[in-house]
Amino acid sequence: MTIDRRQFVIGAGGVAAASSFPMPAFAQAKPKVVVIGGGPGGATAAKYVAKDGGIDVTLVEPARQFTTCFHSNLYLGGFRDFKSITHSYDKLKAYGIKQARQMAQAVDREKKIVRLANGTTLAYDRLVIAPGIELKYDSVPGYSEEVSRKLPHAWKAGAQTRLLKRQLDALKDGSTIVMIAPPNPYRCPPGPYERVSMMAHVLKAKGHKKSRIVILDPKPNFSKQGLFVEGWQKHYPGIVEWQDPKMHGGIKSVDAKTMTVVTDLASYKANLINVIPAQTAGKIALDAGLANNTGFCAINPDNMKSAVDANIYIVGDATIAGEMPKSGFTANSHAKVAAMMIRGELVNARTFPARYTNTCWSLIETDDTVKVGGTYAAKDGRIAAVETFISKTGETAELRKQTQAENMGWYSAVIADIFG
Amino acid sequence: MSGSRAGRCAAIAALGMSLMAVSNTRVMAAGDRALGEYLSSECVACHQVTGQHAGGIPPIVGLPEDSFIQMIDEYRKKTRANPIMQTIAGKFSNDEIAALAAYFGSLKGSSPARTNTQTPRGRRQ
Repeated sequence: MTIDRRQFVIGAGGVAAASSFPMPAFAQAKPKVVVIGGGPGGATAAKYVAKDGGIDVTLVEPARQFTTCFHSNLYLGGFRDFKSITHSYDKLKAYGIKQARQMAQAVDREKKIVRLANGTTLAYDRLVIAPGIELKYDSVPGYSEEVSRKLPHAWKAGAQTRLLKRQLDALKDGSTIVMIAPPNPYRCPPGPYERVSMMAHVLKAKGHKKSRIVILDPKPNFSKQGLFVEGWQKHYPGIVEWQDPKMHGGIKSVDAKTMTVVTDLASYKANLINVIPAQTAGKIALDAGLANNTGFCAINPDNMKSAVDANIYIVGDATIAGEMPKSGFTANSHAKVAAMMIRGELVNARTFPARYTNTCWSLIETDDTVKVGGTYAAKDGRIAAVETFISKTGETAELRKQTQAENMGWYSAVIADIFG
Repeated sequence: MSGSRAGRCAAIAALGMSLMAVSNTRVMAAGDRALGEYLSSECVACHQVTGQHAGGIPPIVGLPEDSFIQMIDEYRKKTRANPIMQTIAGKFSNDEIAALAAYFGSLKGSSPARTNTQTPRGRRQ
């Protein structure tokens, strides 16, 4: 029987296709990048890896929206509302980014898969870990995750921030606020002192005459100290008292039931206790063996790769980033370098030598903002400052007001950059 | 026939060379837009890539390249105020400034930048 002409053509065409157009497997599947953590580090990394196409990006982040830690102090101070510091992940879909709305439970570095809380797995060619910080609750005797529901840290923004705000707004005149500041290294070096400024602003705005704020610091000095002290003396005389370890002799305990903080020097009965404990990199990074004995993760300063795994990049607060402070600005800067290097590896995109930037603005009182920052690059195996700048005491009111305007402009821009 | 074609090719090549020579007499030749796009990742943390602007950060999208280059050069020489911009501009080479000017100049902003921007007047701080 003669073969049906159509069958012949189809058969021949099929054979011809198989032999003339061999398809290597990787030409059909895009390389895969998984990003763990949807904060300023992770969301920026996901967007910058995805936006020029050619790579399959999945963001592992259980939340539907993100409240920024940066500017959360401004919300505490009544300078912005909670909605304005909370942002949806929806716009990231436009870049083709998939969101796995799960906690990442574990990383199998041998098999290059991420195991999610619901048991499913995500394979990766490259992984970005941006888990932020974990709080070492037991670094302050008497503190725990349970106790933080009464004595907030508010060092991860969201419900904790709202709790602290409620407690602050409820204070009557004659109150004592005690803040236990964290030891180095920690997220946002000037953060605790901006927070104290915001608390003092609220008390002053409410007309308090007798309330006071005591800062118990395990550190002998702090970021922008001269500027904060100048500001406190000018705006909040008699309200803020900072104690260094030589003064208080050591923080002994906190007691949520009796609302007491005990140091070697004295015992304080407080109306509001803000405990900011010591910190490490987020748990998933520790469990994956990416941290060293400091509790943070070493990275290659030329590209933000983990020092212990060439397929994993780490960005943001979880890293040991040399002279860069832990900040949202830094995380966003890290993430762009990491994304560029990942695209260079996976789709042969052009790469350039890594450069990093950071600026930290701190609001002390209305229209009185100070800043510190710099540009950074790899040097001698770490990220080192190229040039730095810092506000000066005695600056004009006009300059401080301009600095606050910059602060607000930066926030709008960086949010558009990360989430938009 | 090949002779006249070779002659035409040589003439075209010579014209091309002279055009390049003319453009290179400007202090900064046309910038490398891809390099500018990479360098811009630092800028867009504060200067929105859409040209939208808020607070004290002026838009820099859609500026004529010469104006952009001049402003960054002034920050680099510290004759224009703002320590953040002085620090950032201070590390750029001429090629990098030209690249940034090419990239930002090529973007269409929602609010195109004016050449006399709202940045602080060029006083030394």
